Amino acid sequence: MKIALIGNQNSGKSTLFNLLTDSRQKVGNWPGVTIESKRGYIKNTDFELIDLPGVYSLSPYSNEEKISRAEILKNDLDCIINIVDATSIERSLYLTTQLLDLETNVIVVLNMSDMLAKKKLTIDENILEAKLGCPVIKVSALKNIGIDKLIDAISNLKNRSKLKIFDEFLEEKINDVSKFLDGSNKRFASIKALENDFETNHEDIINKYIKEIENKYNMDVVEVFASKRYDFVEEVRDSCVVRENINETVTDKIDKVLLNKYVGIPIFILIMFLVYFLSVGLVGSATVDFVEGLVEWVSGAMGNLLTNLGASDWSNSLVVDGMIAGVGAVLTFIPQLIILFILISLLETSGYMARISFLLDKFFKRFGLSGKSLIPFIVGTGCSVPGVMATRTIEDDNERKMTILLTPFIPCSAKLPVIALFSGFFFRDYAGIVSASVYFLSVITIILTAIILRKFVYKGNSTAYITELPEFRLPSIKYTLRDVYDRVISYIKKAGSIILLSSIFIWVLSSFSFNFTYGVDVEDSMLATIGKGISWLFYPMLGELSWGASVSAIQGIVAKEQVVSSMAIIAGLTDGGSSLIFASDGIFGFFTPASAYAFIVFNLFSAPCLGTIGAMKKEYGSGKHALKAILFQTGLAWILGVLVYWIGRLIWF
Amino acid sequence: MAKKKLDIGDLGCLNDLVIGQKAIVTNIGAPNNIFKRRLLDMGITKGAKVVIKKVSPLGDPVDILVRGYELCLRRDDLKMIGVEVVL
Repeated sequence: MKIALIGNQNSGKSTLFNLLTDSRQKVGNWPGVTIESKRGYIKNTDFELIDLPGVYSLSPYSNEEKISRAEILKNDLDCIINIVDATSIERSLYLTTQLLDLETNVIVVLNMSDMLAKKKLTIDENILEAKLGCPVIKVSALKNIGIDKLIDAISNLKNRSKLKIFDEFLEEKINDVSKFLDGSNKRFASIKALENDFETNHEDIINKYIKEIENKYNMDVVEVFASKRYDFVEEVRDSCVVRENINETVTDKIDKVLLNKYVGIPIFILIMFLVYFLSVGLVGSATVDFVEGLVEWVSGAMGNLLTNLGASDWSNSLVVDGMIAGVGAVLTFIPQLIILFILISLLETSGYMARISFLLDKFFKRFGLSGKSLIPFIVGTGCSVPGVMATRTIEDDNERKMTILLTPFIPCSAKLPVIALFSGFFFRDYAGIVSASVYFLSVITIILTAIILRKFVYKGNSTAYITELPEFRLPSIKYTLRDVYDRVISYIKKAGSIILLSSIFIWVLSSFSFNFTYGVDVEDSMLATIGKGISWLFYPMLGELSWGASVSAIQGIVAKEQVVSSMAIIAGLTDGGSSLIFASDGIFGFFTPASAYAFIVFNLFSAPCLGTIGAMKKEYGSGKHALKAILFQTGLAWILGVLVYWIGRLIWF
Repeated sequence: MAKKKLDIGDLGCLNDLVIGQKAIVTNIGAPNNIFKRRLLDMGITKGAKVVIKKVSPLGDPVDILVRGYELCLRRDDLKMIGVEVVL
């Protein structure tokens, strides 16, 4: 049996999907969290369940909505579960009326029914069931209420009664048109044909009907169908919903502060500042000594163990200077990342994310972006890959393409180790402020780049902005912890796979010369030879021909945290195992605050990691377009790095 | 609070209302069909009741209550929605 979950954006489809299939799809509180359909099996059954991106109607508007419509119309479904947000039933039932035009079985699920009492709403599901002619079940996906009943209903599907929702005149026209059509879902196809949303071979007859309808109602035909659907929905609502008036909801009270004319924007800036300040500044400096000590202890103990076991010099060095140094350097940043992930998760699940978009739409509109581009940016503070994918909710094609290029400019969690390493050493007590300044620099760069791109590449203006403002929800501790856990585990997995392999590779390159003799001076190694060939490229932003920094910067393309791990390996090998990357007499001792900031900037804006490049290629639908975007990013990163270095030299000498 | 441009019974566009004012949609003059269809799908149909709830601190976009939920639209688009003021 094949079942699809469909409903409005932000109605809790993924939460229900997770509950039914025991999986861990991402959930959040903004319209458009799910952008790809996901599949799974309902626990203890052989019912296949498909979670679809949210839609408001079956006339799709943005790319991810087209996926949902295509899936529904494929017509191989045994049942559609239509999730209706019980607290805003009116708009939700509009989609239901369209689903009921199909021939598939429909089960209506009233989700968030636990919220009804709080909103002083009562819904009689028996009346609703009678009005719609299909089963209606009250559930709360979040609180795990009513799920057994839902599974019962799926197991006992009965053919539903055909529903007529329009007046006699319209129903007659629909019936007439359906006589000319073949195949299944005739009622749905007839209405779509009348709405000019479906091609038939009978344009003349259809056009005649359209004229008749438009003359009778004195509206265009699309408007007629929409209005009549809403008329039906209002009638249904009046028959089964009792609503007591609430003057001011909790959300309204919170919005009075967060969207306040004077303090709304300052609060937003403060929140974003705190995200970086807390994770890098406060928590980073509190834990960094402990974690670094731990890594040093492990590497010392491992070294002793290997020596006692009689391991050869090179195998000892491979494990201690290569694997432990490389992977350890990346793992030391986990405390900072945990804080960053908690804060991002709170932004995503509370409902503030949609407000950021509402707050800043006018500001970003000036630069050819819109409030909608902000969602990929904020998601990108965790990881650029889902950030780039989140651009799918942007309807305007040029704006979407710009946002794909700009999203990697936001410092993601993998860039955090680079930022934290440099700012922690060179700006010590100001590390938090410097990290936050990097974030604001990225915002400024995004704006300037957007202006340039709109002028020369993606010409035109941003289109309309139309989106729902969700209510605030108290983030669930369970989901927040799970989300943070998932992100930390995936970071550790990356350290144990990509970073470990790259560390071994870098160790080999820096321990052997080109004629494969081990034990040569690092300066004569393969890595140093390669680095010296390209170090002139980085001279203008470092003030030094540094092969070590050059080869490390380039490795950012593997994974951004690899930059840190490469520097740790190189520093360890050159300074005889010193754990201090920036030892003043060591290979990276030349770094000054100016070149450190410049190096951060280059790593931030240059070509993103391979994972993100893959996502960009997919979203552009063209490898060539992605390549151009990456070259642009890297060129811009170089220019900005050089600028920062020379401006920095004026400030810090 | 901004000064009221329209009083009860007046006809105008949604953009002319201030926070707290209620109105009934009388026509939708969106020039492009895709956007008009979107407005209709979101519940902005003739006869729908709307209330201005929130305005972004920068003055645009505007958050309106329609059909029991909140919808954000830009001022340029509110200008296309004709209304009759009821409060």
